[in-house]
Amino acid sequence: MTDFWNPYVQPGPRMRRQLVLLSVGGLLLLWSALSGFGIVGPNRLPAPWDVLSAFGYLAWHDGESMLAEATLWSVGRLLAAGVLVVAIGIPVGVAMGASPRINAALSPLIDPFRSAPVVALLPILVMWLGIGEAMKIAFLFIGAVVYLIPMVRDAIQAVPQSHWIGARDLGASPWECIRQAVLPMAMPRIADALIVAVSVMWTYITVAEYVNAKVGLGQLIQNARRFSAWDQVFAGIIVIIVLALVTYQLMRYLKTRLFPWETHQ
Amino acid sequence: MNETVSQTDKTAATPSEHMVSLSLNQIIQDYPAPGGGVTRVIGGVDLVFERPGINMLLGPSGSGKSTLLNMMGGVRPLNVKTPTSGTISIDGQPCHGPHDDAVMVFQRYANRPDLSVYDNVAFPFRFKLWRERVPEKEWRARVAHMLDAVGLADKKALHPAQLSGGQNQRVALARALVLQPRILLMDEPFGALDAQTREEMQHLLIKLYRERPCLIVFVTHDVTEALMLGDRVVVLSTQPANVADDFAIHAPRPRSLDWQRSPEAVQLSERVLDQLHRVSPGKGSLRVTV
Ligand SMILES: Nc1ncnc2c1ncn2[C@@H]1O[C@H](COP(=O)(O)OP(=O)(O)OP(=O)(O)O)[C@@H](O)[C@H]1O
Ligand SMILES: [Mg+2]
Repeated sequence: MTDFWNPYVQPGPRMRRQLVLLSVGGLLLLWSALSGFGIVGPNRLPAPWDVLSAFGYLAWHDGESMLAEATLWSVGRLLAAGVLVVAIGIPVGVAMGASPRINAALSPLIDPFRSAPVVALLPILVMWLGIGEAMKIAFLFIGAVVYLIPMVRDAIQAVPQSHWIGARDLGASPWECIRQAVLPMAMPRIADALIVAVSVMWTYITVAEYVNAKVGLGQLIQNARRFSAWDQVFAGIIVIIVLALVTYQLMRYLKTRLFPWETHQ
Repeated sequence: MNETVSQTDKTAATPSEHMVSLSLNQIIQDYPAPGGGVTRVIGGVDLVFERPGINMLLGPSGSGKSTLLNMMGGVRPLNVKTPTSGTISIDGQPCHGPHDDAVMVFQRYANRPDLSVYDNVAFPFRFKLWRERVPEKEWRARVAHMLDAVGLADKKALHPAQLSGGQNQRVALARALVLQPRILLMDEPFGALDAQTREEMQHLLIKLYRERPCLIVFVTHDVTEALMLGDRVVVLSTQPANVADDFAIHAPRPRSLDWQRSPEAVQLSERVLDQLHRVSPGKGSLRVTV
């Protein structure tokens, strides 16, 4: 226990598993107790076993899987928005980080949106883009890109000036300095920005699918709520959380594989 | 045979294509002082380097050696105008901003953590300027040769984090020398190394210099290093920096421990220390390694 208050010593895998079991298991136990002893009624909190059976129902029912279909649609929208976020957000962020003038011009247009009520944009997007897929993808895109761009900009600006000066001394043009010296050094933090952007998109997916989605995880939750099927609402939320967690872990893993030098710099 | 290698001998032995001159004319540098006003860091330095050779720029820490060297290299921190006044000329041509006659080796090695040793050394050839000047076949040969020369041929696939401090500085040195620069500017390149590694690196530098002499300006605050390496030693005072002393050393390199203990060396060392105490008593710090 001497390492209890030591931020630099990681617990072993066994210890880690036990601790996860303790916290998640504890929560499940508490939840089961609340439902099992009737302390909180099913109209306020569905029992874990009801959520589990709702999950089973959604996963396979009448020869089709509502859950799989909804997940595919949601993931598809997320991917489409993600491609746009990468294709537009990263170049804009890099340009802002690399040129203080571009930053001065664009940051008043972008930075305030970090604290603006993005959700309130939804009606406006509906007005402009209708209620189809374009609106949903645009909403996810805007929600994520306003976080990504400032983070990418900061990642570029955080690269020590010595890399720029060193490349400049070796005869690189300013653009070559950015492309060959600054950008590669900023890549791990740009990857972090992307991970945050994807997490943000997962939190916004339900909102994006609020309006007129025929199918999708957000719609699935929305629909269940309408019929007060709280067990299905819970199952849907848990599925989104798990998917977000899996994407997060996957991206973290990819990041350490792509930039192994970052950890021991 | 080369017992009496001196600057004049070397000039005679050097082909004219290696001729090069670097001159500093009335260089003044002011930096904004914390409480408003300005601090004069460099107070009118006049220096001329006219031939290949190892020129040591010796001064206490904080005296403005890096500032002066960066000016010669044409690099400067963003948003700082250097020099405040005065001109730097290469081969008689005044130069403003970055130029490609001089290559720098920095105080802290600037190796790229994401690139292998090989790619670090070959790094300048990613830039259009050098790709156009040096055909790929030739630069690959140069990189291979430099890796060999600095003793890292068997480590070319490793990354900087897997190398020691001395090996990292070898990479930095190799990256500068693959360009076969006429002027090499070194800013306390061995300052962070332990005594033994520093000595190894000094010998390596002497070896590489012999292979291809160029005009080296080598900044140090280590009196012993200045005496061991220099054809010429320029001593800078501090706040503001001025040339306090400037002398040649003719003893052949590598200079042995015996030479270090010789009356000549002891006398030079005392001369430098006296100068510095006279011009800037109690300011900055110097190192003497024995
Ligand atoms: N960009 C800057 N703005 C303001 N002051 C500066 C700047 N760069 C350097 N100085 C000041 O100029 C002086 C000389 O700095 P410089 O780095 O050239 O010294 P140095 O001789 O290389 O020292 P060291 O041996 O420690 O490397 C210092 O007092 C430093 O505080
Ligand atoms: Mg310095």
